[in-house]
Amino acid sequence: MATETHPETATACWSCGQGAESAHFCASCRKVQPAVPMDFFRFFGLERKLNLDLAALEKEFYRLSRKLHPDLYARASSEEQGWSLVKSSQLNDAYRALKDPVARTQYLLELEGVKLEEQSSAATLAARESGAEKKQVVPPELLEEVFELNMQLQELRMGKQMGEEDPEVITGLRAAKSKFEAMLEGITGELKILWNAWDAALDSEERTGVRDRLVALLNRRSYVRNLVRDVNDALEA
Amino acid sequence: MAYSDKVLDHYTHPRNVGTLDKSSTDVGTGLVGAPECGDVMRLQIKVNPATQVIEDAKFKTFGCGSAIASSSLATEWIKGKKVAEALAIRNTDIVKELALPPVKIHCSVLAEDAIRAAIGDWKKKHGAEAPVENTAEVKA
Ligand code: FES
Ligand SMILES: [Zn+2]
Repeated sequence: MATETHPETATACWSCGQGAESAHFCASCRKVQPAVPMDFFRFFGLERKLNLDLAALEKEFYRLSRKLHPDLYARASSEEQGWSLVKSSQLNDAYRALKDPVARTQYLLELEGVKLEEQSSAATLAARESGAEKKQVVPPELLEEVFELNMQLQELRMGKQMGEEDPEVITGLRAAKSKFEAMLEGITGELKILWNAWDAALDSEERTGVRDRLVALLNRRSYVRNLVRDVNDALEA
Repeated sequence: MAYSDKVLDHYTHPRNVGTLDKSSTDVGTGLVGAPECGDVMRLQIKVNPATQVIEDAKFKTFGCGSAIASSSLATEWIKGKKVAEALAIRNTDIVKELALPPVKIHCSVLAEDAIRAAIGDWKKKHGAEAPVENTAEVKA
């Protein structure tokens, strides 16, 4: 992370013509370099890996924030002013996406050509063609649980509206809350395991396997996360 | 979000909310979900074994207004239809009827998935004994 050098993309600095250039600043004359589109990992000079050193990322974020700050370029050419602006906003996007474990995973999947929202509609298309039942992107038992819990939540809300609270419903929801919170934690654990598998994958075949498992896991996670949120809302309301 | 009048109508007066006996051999149950929002929909059908006509349909949806309207409309549409006809319903038909905006298309997909899942469950219960018209569909 300490180095910003990307030998594979090194081009001459627009200003001094020296070859040594980082993604953001010229190594010789220190001038800000043209803002070109690049993925968030590259923006930080990182490989496309899922495990990353958050402390180092944060440090680099602050360092680049300072160095790219538009105030520093008040007297520079209008190109440089523009680049520093664009890069500052790229920096913020990149940091936001990479610092959060789930957002980072989702972002990487997107780079790998997987849009989570499209998984479900792709499965619908496949089902239509074969005439068979759609393959749900999460296990059926989980859907059952989601449905059951929603029933309980509805009961609780209706009870509250009528000014009565069934202690049994509350107890049930408390149990559900700890269960789903534990599930969410479990998913976070599984996520770490898959991160390691991704980072260690040697070829594209291996990576595709891990990628698909990541997709399945994130889909499961989105249901469980919503449940935890809904149970908490209902209990606190 | 501004809902169309038809969505509002189904949303405030949902048709066919309820439950059919899951264990009955004439009942097919489809439970589907939309991972994008975490919403779930259960749609059930009761099929006349002799005529293959869907005599009753019920749903229960935990989701947004468009999902509720889509499933409500779906039950209305499939009631009285033959199984094979119900299978032909597409989410785009629902989108058109309810004037759903693009961001709500997945809600209508959920309803189409639910119809197919309910029919699939019913077929499973009958195995090969059900005289299914569209034979190409029962490879499994
Ligand atoms: S927003 Fe989820 S089904 Fe409509
Ligand atoms: Zn230079």
